[in-house]
Amino acid sequence: MKKTVKGRWRLAVALGVVATLGVSGCGLNEDNSSSSGSSDTVLRIGTTTDVSNFNPLQSLSKTDSWILNAMYPHLLRIDENAQKAPELAKEYRYEDDGKTAVFELRDDFKWTDGQPVVAEDVKFSAEKIMEYKLGNVAAKLTWVESIEAPDATTVKFKLSQPYAPFAEGVGFWMSIVPKHVFEKAGDLSKFPNDSNWVGAGPFVLDSMTKGQRYVMKRNEHYPLAPEGKAAVSQVEYRVYPDVNTMMLALRNGDIDLMGTPVPVSAAKTFENDSKIKLAKVGALGFAHLTYNMKNKYLADQEVRQALSMSVDTKAIIDAVLQGDGQQMAGPISPIFAEYDNTEIQPYPFDPAAAKAKLAAAGYKDANNDGFFDELSFGVACDQSNANITRVVQLFRESAAKAGIKLENECVERNTFLTRTKNGEYDIDASQWGVFDNPMDQLRSTYLSSNPGGINYNLLESAEMDTLINDAAGTTDPEAFKAKIKNLDKVVHEQAYLTPLYVENFQFAYNASKFTGFAPSPSDLLGMVTAYSLAQVTPVK
Amino acid sequence: MVRFVLSRALKAVLTVWIAITSTFFLLRLLPGDPTTLMVEGDMTPEMQAALLKTYGLDRPLWEQYVSYLRELVQGNLGISFRQIQPVTDIILDRLPWTLLLAGSAFVLTVAVGIPIGVTAAVNRGKWLDRALQGFGISANALFVPSVAILLLVFFGAQLGWFPIGGAIDPDTRGVGAYLSLAHHLVLPVLSLILVQLGPYALTLRTNMIEVLGEDYIRAAQARGLSARRRVWKHGLRNAILPALTLMGLQLGTLVGGAVLTETVFAYPGVGRLIYEAVGQQDYPVIQGAFIMLAVTVVVANALTDMLYAVLNPRIRL
Repeated sequence: MKKTVKGRWRLAVALGVVATLGVSGCGLNEDNSSSSGSSDTVLRIGTTTDVSNFNPLQSLSKTDSWILNAMYPHLLRIDENAQKAPELAKEYRYEDDGKTAVFELRDDFKWTDGQPVVAEDVKFSAEKIMEYKLGNVAAKLTWVESIEAPDATTVKFKLSQPYAPFAEGVGFWMSIVPKHVFEKAGDLSKFPNDSNWVGAGPFVLDSMTKGQRYVMKRNEHYPLAPEGKAAVSQVEYRVYPDVNTMMLALRNGDIDLMGTPVPVSAAKTFENDSKIKLAKVGALGFAHLTYNMKNKYLADQEVRQALSMSVDTKAIIDAVLQGDGQQMAGPISPIFAEYDNTEIQPYPFDPAAAKAKLAAAGYKDANNDGFFDELSFGVACDQSNANITRVVQLFRESAAKAGIKLENECVERNTFLTRTKNGEYDIDASQWGVFDNPMDQLRSTYLSSNPGGINYNLLESAEMDTLINDAAGTTDPEAFKAKIKNLDKVVHEQAYLTPLYVENFQFAYNASKFTGFAPSPSDLLGMVTAYSLAQVTPVK
Repeated sequence: MVRFVLSRALKAVLTVWIAITSTFFLLRLLPGDPTTLMVEGDMTPEMQAALLKTYGLDRPLWEQYVSYLRELVQGNLGISFRQIQPVTDIILDRLPWTLLLAGSAFVLTVAVGIPIGVTAAVNRGKWLDRALQGFGISANALFVPSVAILLLVFFGAQLGWFPIGGAIDPDTRGVGAYLSLAHHLVLPVLSLILVQLGPYALTLRTNMIEVLGEDYIRAAQARGLSARRRVWKHGLRNAILPALTLMGLQLGTLVGGAVLTETVFAYPGVGRLIYEAVGQQDYPVIQGAFIMLAVTVVVANALTDMLYAVLNPRIRL
């Protein structure tokens, strides 16, 4: 008996040991076949998540685009001043009264398999996006009736009607893929494109260890780099889901650049580190309060204006962004300087005047509780956005002084997005992500047909529709600018929304090792655009 | 014995089925759908509808459920919405890392927890015992991510002893790879052990104190057996049995704790996969990962029960 029990114990221990060894053996069965050297020209960049979709025609993820945009060229890029600049296209123009958009391409871009990048590649990419309705670019191609590639460097988009920012939108958003590779894949909506990459950007994926890193090798032929190819021989993306861990990794020298912006509250932690520098860029979107026009009282211009007078945007910028943001007046971000109507001024912060205005408009406080009887609204927001949640709190306090009662309805992100989608809110406090041009923004946010699903006002105004459609079809640049500025003014007067601020993003990098980044506005572009990575040089 | 194993297996299958069903319906009760998070300015309602159709989310719920079960029985966990890849492949890619992390933490918790618990019981009321009680109670209040980030700041960034995140240096080969693996494993395992060890050692201590008061221990003492033999051979064998059940239960906590640990330590396991998939409402991946975790916990508990039966001579099968 004694022996048997002992045997049982031994068996249990043995099983445990075998299990542990087996498990650790499995642990090494990852794809770690990449063969990168520890050359000093490897630029290591922190990203927050794995690549979820390697098909650039399809992917909608910001972090995917960091890697994919370095591989697949775009016709145009956005420079540091939020202006479109040439990338694969040398220039673009409109013909046929704006009904044909023509791109002239450079002739010196090459795919990494040696083939030249030609007009047929552009035509193929756009046609496939339209055929399979891929990504968010499909909507930008709405007006396209046909595409022609008369020679290797000319692409013509024939449009059903003129649309002023067509070339800008398509040029900036659409990835160009190699026709000779992608046409073999069949149905491009099911093509994962997760190996044997052929690209024409400054870097092309070479290998990956999922969950850990993505290794990109230099394209030896990239005409937008100063020396005809990037100075950095390899770019390596490393995955850190937690931004605090990523910051430690930068301080520790494990990475050289954070792809994701440093939170305002954490920027100070780099102050005493002489190696780390912060580069500041603006945003292509902005934070705003948008009023649901389906609400009887919010449909009243007086109420919306009074609400706008009850928001202390300066105090919000100081408290929430620690002063690091820009104030706005109308709905067009000052980053689009040529379209920003500088004649309009933000509503002055004056709750007492707002209260008087509402009283004059006939609103009553019958029960003397300090609030107008009908003016009680919920403010919906995504509670995972700490800045906006704080804004709602400050807004609530200042609106109370104007006699308007606000309820904080900040909820979990999915719930918030669903409520937004279904119009279940009075006031929406949120942040627009990326608008590459004001016309697309105005169409998406104010057109009754709600083509982008983000007309958060649920506005149905014949006047606005006319103004927007008229501007959209205007091909003369000066007239177009004037019409946008007029829209800026109308939205401001109507107070459809109260713009809060344009945030600045700060990107941290190791300046003792690398220099020469060419940052662009927004956290989508930041320091990691194809153009920026091609300009980076190691510090000697 | 066969009957016991069979009935245990049947219960396990039933538990897994309940887990699958509740995961399936709970996910779909969440507000929004996978396209909610894809709203990026220009996604028209038609495109969202087209995407929902591609995902099969436009069909009635029960129809989705039946077809999901049918596929599942054939070992097919579906295709990830975001990654256009079979979920089984995605999970199998990540599973070894979680098993390694949770397994190492589990083995070490037991290996360290037993001597600490026993020593505390033997030295009941003395400083070591009091220290263990203090530690055990405070460990219960520890929050994994806070512990993890503190460990990273101190041992990783300040002292530079351990790497900041990751599971292995992909450039290492052979023995170097194993060393790198172990090097990367230390802090994540430590953070899990710190949280797990207290309750485990405390339970063992309590059991041990009880056992040491039993007649057969006094009888052993009367027979002249050494204190060491009495405690470690006669006492521990009985005290460990209730702790064994706790071990099985703790495995579930370990796997759950891995979600947070893996996220902070950038460890490429299933926990982090869940974290990412939840953020994207990638139903097939979340379902697949939960089923996998449920199976792990159920199997571990079934094994614990069987081991209990093997180790406890009082249970006759």
